[in-house]
Amino acid sequence: MVSHPVSPQKFAARLNAFLRERLPLEELQALAEKKKVPLHKHSLWYYLGGIAGMLLGVQIVTGLLLMVYYVPEITSAHASILKINTQINFGWFVRSLHSWGANLMILALFVHLFSTYFMKAYRKPRELTWWTGLALMGICLGFGFTGYLLPWDDVSFFATKIGLDVASKVPFAGNLIAYMLRGGDAVSQATISRFFVIHVAILPILLIGLLGGHLLMVQVHNISEPNSFKNLEPAEKTYEKFFPTFFLKDILVWILCLNALFGLTMLSPWSLGPEADPFAPAPIGIKPEWYFLAPFQFLKMMPAMVGPIEGELVGLVLMSLVAVGFVLVPTFDSGASTARSRAATWFGIVVVISFAVLSIWGVLS
Amino acid sequence: MNYPLWVVPHIGGTWVIGIISIIHVFISHFAVGGGIFLAFAEELAYKKNDDRIYDFLKQHSRFFVLLTTVAGAITGVGIWFSVSLVSPDGLASLIQSFTLAWAEEYLFFVAELATAFAYYYTWDRISKTEHLFLARLYMIFSIFTLVIINGILTFMLTPGKWMVNHYWLDGVFNPTYFPSLGIRILIMLAIAGMYALVTSSRIKEPRFRAFMVRYCAKWLLPVFILGPIFMVWFLTQIPQASIDTIFTGIQTSGVGNFSVLARALYLSMVLSGTILLFAYFGPYLNPKAFTFRIAIMFMVCGLAVTGTTEWMREMLRKPYVIYGYLYSNGIHKDDVQTISSQGFLNKGKWASALAQHANSEEERGELIFRYQCLACHTADGYRSMKKLLGARDEEAIENFLQILRKTDPKSNNYTGIMPTLAVNDAELKSLAKYLSTINVEERHHAEQVGAKPDVKENASTVQ
Repeated sequence: MVSHPVSPQKFAARLNAFLRERLPLEELQALAEKKKVPLHKHSLWYYLGGIAGMLLGVQIVTGLLLMVYYVPEITSAHASILKINTQINFGWFVRSLHSWGANLMILALFVHLFSTYFMKAYRKPRELTWWTGLALMGICLGFGFTGYLLPWDDVSFFATKIGLDVASKVPFAGNLIAYMLRGGDAVSQATISRFFVIHVAILPILLIGLLGGHLLMVQVHNISEPNSFKNLEPAEKTYEKFFPTFFLKDILVWILCLNALFGLTMLSPWSLGPEADPFAPAPIGIKPEWYFLAPFQFLKMMPAMVGPIEGELVGLVLMSLVAVGFVLVPTFDSGASTARSRAATWFGIVVVISFAVLSIWGVLS
Repeated sequence: MNYPLWVVPHIGGTWVIGIISIIHVFISHFAVGGGIFLAFAEELAYKKNDDRIYDFLKQHSRFFVLLTTVAGAITGVGIWFSVSLVSPDGLASLIQSFTLAWAEEYLFFVAELATAFAYYYTWDRISKTEHLFLARLYMIFSIFTLVIINGILTFMLTPGKWMVNHYWLDGVFNPTYFPSLGIRILIMLAIAGMYALVTSSRIKEPRFRAFMVRYCAKWLLPVFILGPIFMVWFLTQIPQASIDTIFTGIQTSGVGNFSVLARALYLSMVLSGTILLFAYFGPYLNPKAFTFRIAIMFMVCGLAVTGTTEWMREMLRKPYVIYGYLYSNGIHKDDVQTISSQGFLNKGKWASALAQHANSEEERGELIFRYQCLACHTADGYRSMKKLLGARDEEAIENFLQILRKTDPKSNNYTGIMPTLAVNDAELKSLAKYLSTINVEERHHAEQVGAKPDVKENASTVQ
């Protein structure tokens, strides 16, 4: 006798009922369907967060694969990357995806950050979204800084050394923090171990938690509307559903970005410099990654002394003030005062232009 | 060597041909695929008696006729013009072997143009049945232009039996003729679909737009179902050495070895895969939200795949214009031995005339460089000799050239990617002398930083 198999429809219905009795699925569905995307001429910027998220996915997958072969040990680190690049099947491909992906992700995040800034998306009730976003930006820069050292080639070694030397200039705690990150007075095995743990364990945990919060906030408050759209008559406002309409378009944009990433990877695979030699003189014209070029250039152009204070310290304080400005902007520009709104916009413009000018200057010098 | 040469600094003559050809490929594939599309879509309109499809086709065909006849013809002639300047010996060989085929190609091209104009200018002037006939006629003529040119293009990679009997039809119907014809038609259908997606995305009425967008998206499906089969068939027919060249770098390639072919292969596969996903998630699943901007970006991706794949096919043939017969620098493979003993500069008609006016050894060296190296290299741009020579001095260059002169793959790693150097001893010295004037700066720089010149002659340092 053949037993009657359960039909797929019946099975799905039973599974559905089982889950509905145990999970708040109705509420979750309502939450997912609630989100709608305003349609206006600035809608383009709404894709940036999704792009960064997709690239994060690429980073996680390629990062896990790289971890299989990478050895965080001072005499093997460079050799293990060399092995990944030349002997492991498709190793060069995964590593290039990880390196190019990191750069594209940070680029997408910068654009995301500034586009939300200029659309005034930080205003009440979205302050928490803004702050978690800023923290996520910081975490991603941290990923960039720690990941850069791991291949242990000459450029990565000296860029880390200089970066930590700058950090040690921060008054009060700077020296201690730099010492703890380095694991001593010099960039060494202890630094590789620390950076590795930060890169693959600490930052990922922080990132997942904060990203969850960030996305939940977006879901709770819905997508921010710029003033030009908000002030329209209700009849003139057009929206589309996030799910599935906008989401399907999101997928198209992701595919395009993936194509760009693959193109870069294939046409220009990431290379590896000679192994770091801590006792050799720093190569001439050593520069950090492009996203750290602006602060690097800014510190370089500070005079040795500003009055009685060290120039680098003044530079650090000024840059910290800019960061504080970004953190405090929701409390300063709540939307009630036009003058404050304009001031915030100008602050943003000045920061973007200085960032661009300093970066280009950094590249050229 | 029998003709004067055109020197294009920095990008090299090959890229002049390359750029024109890639544009021509985009347009000519659209001309054929679009012809098939117009015929089928018009049949749909005819059967459904749907004026909206007719209106759409009128719009679409306007853009189609303008682009294919004007830009197609200009770039087509551009290819002839540039090839005759850059690679006259190779072109002469192809014209002499396929005179009849070229004549037929020309005939079908003229017929194609004439029908295209007749088709476009008779909208609403003749009966719908007659107009449909014209559309089908255009489709047939355009397919025949492919049927012929495909024979000559595939002949260059796999001359097959022609190598033995030099019979032109054996050259046309060579081993890769049919798989290549299949792949090209499939790609043409996909390109036609993508162009039609662009025009469909401009349709105002939302429901009809959704209908047309979906219809066009389906034109991408055949290449994804049948493409892999034809591709495998194609790969089984090409020379083993070409396959080896791809697979040398396929698993662990990075910068600096033969991997560029492997990387192009990945790129072509990845982009093809994403196009399928794109067509599914975009125009097929969500036709209402498929906008003009997205359609354009989609087309850019599609053309990028086509370009990459064409480039890869061209690379597979290296170092030959006609595989195993004529090298890309216009020297016949069988002549290399004779030239090596009797000399190069006294052989070719034009080259020997120029050699009489070369006053110094360096000038003679430069002449050899132009005739034998410039087909692929430039002094300081694309595949730059300056960069490839590194800090080698004249002696090291001479040793290196000695290797390039050998015909045995065991003692010359480069036989698979570079023509054998066809010079006698004195000419080799002249060439080395000339080449050592190109990388003076590099040597100077290397001396300053104290690095030793890299004289390791290893295939893995060539890209």
